[in-house]
Amino acid sequence: MLDFIIGKYNYWIYIILMMIGFYAMIGKRNLVKKIIGMTIFQTSIILFFVSTAYKKGGATLPIIEHAHGHGEHVGHAIEASSYINPLPHVLMLTAIVVMVATLGVALAIVIKIYRRYNTLEEDEILKAIK
Amino acid sequence: MKIANLLIVIITGMVLIYGTLDMPDWGDPNSPASRHLSPNYISDAVEKTATPNVVTAVLGDYRGYDTLGETAVIFSAGMACILILRRKRKK
Repeated sequence: MLDFIIGKYNYWIYIILMMIGFYAMIGKRNLVKKIIGMTIFQTSIILFFVSTAYKKGGATLPIIEHAHGHGEHVGHAIEASSYINPLPHVLMLTAIVVMVATLGVALAIVIKIYRRYNTLEEDEILKAIK
Repeated sequence: MKIANLLIVIITGMVLIYGTLDMPDWGDPNSPASRHLSPNYISDAVEKTATPNVVTAVLGDYRGYDTLGETAVIFSAGMACILILRRKRKK
């Protein structure tokens, strides 16, 4: 049971963080608070993916040592178990780009809404639209 | 209304935690993600791309077109911000 908790607890932490962001997205009335919730949500996903890259047993960053040029200088065979998984890092670089793009467009839309209705509260905006 | 939101969040969290029960343990070197595809990238990256940093090799070389598409994403986001935020010039 203890091994089970130790093996899984980091997933649960990211799920709790993601649910905080999700609650802010659906529960809050202020549009900027919704955007903050969206950012927390995306950050939790990024942390989750980066944490899955980790390998126990002395694995280091995925930068091959003594490997300048075309690899003639790599005197030793490259052991995959001594470097952590590089693919989640690559995918999360792509996700960070998408995160910044969505955040920028969302903030621009919020500025536009504030200029027209002079408020950021969702119910007041809905009342002004009617 | 707040109770309904909280209930939705808790139910979603429970479903996600139920999903983690089948996931491999954290840091397991024999998990499918670290055994199936990534060893090829780690062992072949220096020979094929001459880049010691495997993340850079995958991002800029194996997935170069994906990175090119990312620049399109950033460009369209910037254009959308400009189009939303510009004010019309008064004549």
